[in-house]
Amino acid sequence: MAGIVLVVIFVILVLVTITLGVRLVPQGSKYVIQRLGKFHSTLSPGLNIIIPYIDTVAYKVTTKDIVLDIPSQEVITRDNAVIIANAVAYLNIVSPEKAVYGVTDYIVAIQTLVQTSLRSIVGEMDLDDALSSRDMIKAKLKAAISDDISDWGITLKTVEIQDITPSKTMQTAMEEQAAAERGRRATITRAEGEKSAAILSADGRLEASKRDAQAQVVLAEASQRAIQKVTEAIQANEMPVLYLLGEKYIEAVRQISTANNAKVVLLPADIPAAVRGIIGTLGK
Amino acid sequence: MSFTLLYWHWLALGMILIIAELFVPSFTIFWFGLGAVLVALLLLLFPTIPLTGQLLCFALASGLFTWLWFRYLRPLMTDRTKAGLSREAALGESGQVIKAPLEGQRGVVRFTIPLLGNDEWPFICQTPTAVGDRVVVREISGNTLIVEKR
Repeated sequence: MAGIVLVVIFVILVLVTITLGVRLVPQGSKYVIQRLGKFHSTLSPGLNIIIPYIDTVAYKVTTKDIVLDIPSQEVITRDNAVIIANAVAYLNIVSPEKAVYGVTDYIVAIQTLVQTSLRSIVGEMDLDDALSSRDMIKAKLKAAISDDISDWGITLKTVEIQDITPSKTMQTAMEEQAAAERGRRATITRAEGEKSAAILSADGRLEASKRDAQAQVVLAEASQRAIQKVTEAIQANEMPVLYLLGEKYIEAVRQISTANNAKVVLLPADIPAAVRGIIGTLGK
Repeated sequence: MSFTLLYWHWLALGMILIIAELFVPSFTIFWFGLGAVLVALLLLLFPTIPLTGQLLCFALASGLFTWLWFRYLRPLMTDRTKAGLSREAALGESGQVIKAPLEGQRGVVRFTIPLLGNDEWPFICQTPTAVGDRVVVREISGNTLIVEKR
């Protein structure tokens, strides 16, 4: 009977021992083992065995990247403008034992560190710089925090500035400024357009006058050549000219006669003399 | 004891324990299941083993199986991924010095494959290094690597 009892107890003992001694650590986390209250080792993912009764799993630490939201806060820039900034930090716990023994709560610690560093970095910048150079803020922030958290076995992968928004009044003023700037540009553009238009139309007029002058010259030259040709044709030989002119004279008289108003047509009796009178010296 | 344990009782217990492992994934109940199956086998061969002996065998076999597993089979289980093991993934990686450490300043080492999402890291080295040296990561300290010359 005693044997049975003892063996049953022994079975229970073995069961408890194995249950406590075999530890399954899931991928993505590590267990910090304390032996009698002192740090002993860190269990990696997979199947692990520890000595029950003296070893205990003190902490379970994730080794995945931690996405840490840094809450919004009001920050004052160097030129005394208030902006609201928030960020997000990506951390990775490289040495779990340092993280759990080095600081009481690394999440809170890093959150406050990022907040204070962000304040001091933005406090050294002007508003316009703070709004436009996020990458610089990022780099400075990372450099400022990295050394502080290295003691805790934590690597800061990256820290991103999410929003930087000026306060309401600041925003209104900035929008007004932007609108005024646009207005200024519009006015300048319009004036420049008008100026260009005036210059272009003046240029047009100038060009047209030049062309007109050229045309007159061409016409004059044409008349000159026509007269020259006629002169060459006549060559002190006045009869054909007289004949042509006489013909034209009679034609003109006929046209006058067909007009439907009251008229008195006086025809010279000596038409060649009349035509000679018209051409003056030629006929002499 | 009016009730006598027969071999199939142990077999049933063993199988129930192995099934229980499915619902309580701790990889401990499994060994007891195997131990119970072994005891069932022993009872089939030697039906005269007393209850005490059976329980003793059960306890010892379970312990033995567990020990054997950790002694011989677990070393064969290799890590299939370094995901979530940033330290292990970084240690032993080698990179090239692109900025030698000056007095009071850390140097910069560049890796061909980014390490923890960053291909350039500040580093500290005990021995003097020059630009172009190959260095091996020995430890990560925050955002600084402790390296050794190759």
